[in-house]
Amino acid sequence: MSASPPCLLFVDDEERILRSLRMLFRGRGEILTTSSGHEAVEWVRRRPVHVVVSDQRMPGMSGVEVLREVAAHSPATMRILLTGYADMDAVGASVNEGEIYRFIEKPWAAQYLVETVEQAARVACRDFDAAARRPAGRATDATVAARVVVLDDDGALAAQVRELLPAAVRVEHAPDLEGTLEVLAEHDVAVVIARVSSAGGDVADALKQLKRLRPATLAIVVSSLRDSRLLIGLINEGQVFRFLLEPAPRELLRRGLAAALERYARLRTQSDLLQRHAVDAPRQEAVATTTGRLLQAWRRLREAAALRIA
Amino acid sequence: MNAALQAIPTAPFASGVAPNEPPRGADAPERRASPGLAGLLLRTAPVRPEASVLDVARTFLEPRHAGLLSLPIVAAVGRPVGMISRYELMRVFLQPYGRELYGRRPITALMDRAPLVLPLSTSIDEAARAIAAHVRSPITDDFILVDDAGYAGTGLVLDVLHAVEHRLAERSQELERAYARLKSSQSQLVQSEKMASLGQMVAGLVHEINTPLGYVRNNVEMTRASLGDAARLVAAQQAVIDALTGDAEPDGGLDTRFAEVGHLRTRVDAAALEDLCALLDDTVHGVGQIGDLVLNLKDFSRLDQAGTQPADINRLVESALRIVAHVLRKRGIEAVLKLGDVPLIDCAPAQINQVLLNLLSNAAQAIEHGQGRIVVATQALDRRVLLVVEDNGKGIEPEYLARVFDPFFTTKPVGQGTGMGLAISHQIVEQHGGAIRVSSKPGVGTRFLVVLPAPGREPAP
Repeated sequence: MSASPPCLLFVDDEERILRSLRMLFRGRGEILTTSSGHEAVEWVRRRPVHVVVSDQRMPGMSGVEVLREVAAHSPATMRILLTGYADMDAVGASVNEGEIYRFIEKPWAAQYLVETVEQAARVACRDFDAAARRPAGRATDATVAARVVVLDDDGALAAQVRELLPAAVRVEHAPDLEGTLEVLAEHDVAVVIARVSSAGGDVADALKQLKRLRPATLAIVVSSLRDSRLLIGLINEGQVFRFLLEPAPRELLRRGLAAALERYARLRTQSDLLQRHAVDAPRQEAVATTTGRLLQAWRRLREAAALRIA
Repeated sequence: MNAALQAIPTAPFASGVAPNEPPRGADAPERRASPGLAGLLLRTAPVRPEASVLDVARTFLEPRHAGLLSLPIVAAVGRPVGMISRYELMRVFLQPYGRELYGRRPITALMDRAPLVLPLSTSIDEAARAIAAHVRSPITDDFILVDDAGYAGTGLVLDVLHAVEHRLAERSQELERAYARLKSSQSQLVQSEKMASLGQMVAGLVHEINTPLGYVRNNVEMTRASLGDAARLVAAQQAVIDALTGDAEPDGGLDTRFAEVGHLRTRVDAAALEDLCALLDDTVHGVGQIGDLVLNLKDFSRLDQAGTQPADINRLVESALRIVAHVLRKRGIEAVLKLGDVPLIDCAPAQINQVLLNLLSNAAQAIEHGQGRIVVATQALDRRVLLVVEDNGKGIEPEYLARVFDPFFTTKPVGQGTGMGLAISHQIVEQHGGAIRVSSKPGVGTRFLVVLPAPGREPAP
């Protein structure tokens, strides 16, 4: 790990929040605070900042806008949203535009926030170092030999995905969870596109488990549920890559798929980046009825993974 | 001839000739069953054209004809040729020797040769129109009903009147039902608009509460941790002091104890304690803020009480501003209050709050630049209170201005406005005996003026 302490930047329009956070992180790095999103972005442009923790609702610039700008100027900076109210649009944008690491709600638990920010800082420090060593501008051919799985009961989504992707990409359609797991157990899968139709269901749980087991596989969720809680879970415990509300606009889906394949290629070649996709342990265990079949499938998955590593 | 005069046993309305007939309104359901004049048909036996005036006079005297104003005269082929009224016979018989002069003449000499003849299929409304065009005062005649085969019977003007009345009653019932449906769907709309603004309000409040709650909790957790350090420092110092005064032998030697005290003192020093005090000041502030919000919310929703109570509009304005504060802050909008000394108004505070909330959030949404400013002013004007909400937002195009109070009129994107906010505000203000007006200039801003009557009491101290 880098010897110099990480730089942590906090953005909030409430001065008392900043004072409180400064105190909480005292001695844990170089602490910057600002109530202006513009100033935050300026800082990130001018100097290395390892973690940005931003409020969402602020005058001038929203948290998502701040984090999107941060991602554009400094992709290695880890981005965390810390907000008092999770409206669905903001949560969705934080995934799709901000590609955030965690979505944390106020009031936060001090220990969890410290652990999360420190973990993010460790990942970012490594990335900053690695980025300095890597030759810049290496092109990656994302689409070669990639495989995607579409979990979709009626197949319409799979057909759409097939149509949107170049022929070199293998698109597998799995009508249920077992089918998806089978593909995952046998092949390297770049992207899982899943329709999530119930907030408490198996699919969301499975995506979270999958991320723990296969951090390089990216998940795109298509859902008609405007459920911010579901999505926050998918971010923090599943590092969902894109979340699209049904019916998913074609262009958004296409761009999401392209970005996911590109990201997958980079993750494959730069395994140190995988840490960026680390997830929290799921808060709830999978429901009893599904645990059995899930475990069975995971066992197969693990065996397959172990074989591949060996 | 007698055979010809025999009344054919008849449908319900033939009972019209019976002397003790019930009021006609009583058999309404049967009438509704047969549309048009067919339901009013009386199978009155017609008089032949050859019948003498005296024969007809006798026929009129039969009890079964007591309800008829006139009798139809029908030729053998079923062709109606005229009608003879009681009134005409009376006119003739009242003349000196009238009975003797006219009695043996055929009825055709006296009959009305152009009676009102209506097809059975005529609707009640058309019949009413035809009767109105045909009758003279006093009403002396009924009318003849025909079908494809010719003469079918007669109809009573009175029956038509009853039928028209019945239809009117039916229609007004229909109107009442439609009105009730309209009212209930309107109240549903009011309700959903209320829920929409409630949802908006809750979102804002949750954010407003969670922000202070965020630092309050964090500060308390940090204070708790610091107190642990402080407690350990006190214990370590006590051990050193005890060792120095010789009361007790320290475990691990004095050096270790000193080192521990030295280490703990870097964590709990005067500066740290000062920081802690600042954190606790913030905490008290935050808790106060949450308390204020909750109080405001209570004030705001006190409320859905029916009935009115005296209220200070300035207080309502302030509390509504608290509720939208987060929206204003988020958009960097400055709120300027110009509250005058105003008398109390009699109002339903929750409803006036709804109006204020609506005007304020509209004003905020109209502002799309960084120098947003909303002016809220109140002023007393002889037994009325004026309220002005003015923004420097994008304004309303002149062609939309007249429609802003129309239900469902909205220029906001789908999903952002129900188009009911101002319609409901308008209704609420009118129900309070007030008025609401709008003026706007595109690119400059919009001003809403609300006038509410004040009974003239002094404001509460």
